[in-house]
Amino acid sequence: MKSFLYSVLIISVLILFGCQSKFPLNKDLTKQSYKFFNQDSVEVTFPGFIKGKTAVMGFIYTNCPDICPMTTHNMIITDEKLTEEGINDVQFILLTFDPDRDTPSVLKKYAEVRGINFDNWTLLWGDKENTDKLLIRFDVMALPSDSSYSDDGELNYYMIHTDRISLIDKDGRLRKNYQGSKVNLDELLNDIKELGE
Amino acid sequence: MTAVLTFLFLFIQVSENIVVKDQWVRPGAKGMGTALYFTIENNGSEADTLYAVTSDISDKIMIHQTYSKGDMIGMKMVKEIVIEPGKAFKFEPGGYHVMVMKLKHDIKAGDETEFILHFKKAGEVSVTASVAKN
Repeated sequence: MKSFLYSVLIISVLILFGCQSKFPLNKDLTKQSYKFFNQDSVEVTFPGFIKGKTAVMGFIYTNCPDICPMTTHNMIITDEKLTEEGINDVQFILLTFDPDRDTPSVLKKYAEVRGINFDNWTLLWGDKENTDKLLIRFDVMALPSDSSYSDDGELNYYMIHTDRISLIDKDGRLRKNYQGSKVNLDELLNDIKELGE
Repeated sequence: MTAVLTFLFLFIQVSENIVVKDQWVRPGAKGMGTALYFTIENNGSEADTLYAVTSDISDKIMIHQTYSKGDMIGMKMVKEIVIEPGKAFKFEPGGYHVMVMKLKHDIKAGDETEFILHFKKAGEVSVTASVAKN
C-alpha cells in the first residue's frame, strides 16, 4: 500500500512538473479588464470575451509589410489545421499596437483581404492607454522608429516591436509565448490541443 | 545603322545578364502596404545595382530590410542592392523586401501584379508577381 501511494505521488509530481515545463507561464489575465473594440467597432472586454476558450493572440500593425503578415499567416495556417481536425472552438485575436492608424475599419480590411473568418477571429483596437496597459501585461514592446512626412504632409513611420504570438488558456491565463513570424507550427498546434483538453 | 544595332545588341546582352525569378507579393488592401519578394541572379561579368522598383499599383515603393535588435524586430530603408557577378541575391520574408505602400486597389491571392525593377546597368526589368496566400 505504501509503495502504491509513493508511486501515485511520484507520477503526480512528474505530471505537474511536466506541464509546468511545457507551459512555463501562468499569468492570470482576468485580474484586470480592458475595453477594446472589434473590427466592426463593437465594444468588447478583454479577456472577458474569450472566457471558456483557448485563445491564440498575435500582436501586429497593418503598415508592417513583412513580419506582421508572417505572424498573421502563421495564425491562419494554425486555424486551418485545427479546422481540418474538427477543432473549431479556438479564438484567434490580433491586437494592433498602432491604434493611431489601425482603426477598426482598417483592421477589418487587413483581415478581409487575407480571407480571415470572423466567426472565430477578432481584431482588437483600443485607445492608447488600454493598448499600452495590455501590451505591458504581455511584455510586448512597440515603439515608433524611422519617420518621415510625405509630400501631402502625412506622417509615415515604422515600428520596432516584439515579434509575438501568445497562447491563453480557457481560464484567461497566459501560458506560453512564441516568436510570431517564426513559430514552430507543430509545437503551437500541439500546445493548443493540450491546453484545450 | 551599324552603331544602333551594336548598341541594341549590347543592351540586350546586358539585360539578359540579370534574371529575376521566384517573384511573389503578399495580399494587401487598398490604402495599405504589402511586400514583394524575388531572387535576382547576375549572370554577367560585372556587378549591377538595383536602385528602384516601380509599379502602377503604388506611387511609393522602397527597398527595405528587416532587422532584429534583441527580442525586437524593425525595418529600415535600403538605398540600393549590389548584385555581384555570378551571384544571386534573395529578397525573402524576414530579410530584404520591397515595401509597396498605399496600394491603389486590393490585391488578393491568385491576382497578378506588374513591377519594374530598375538596374544601373541592365536598365528596366519587368516582372509579373503572383499574389500569394500569405
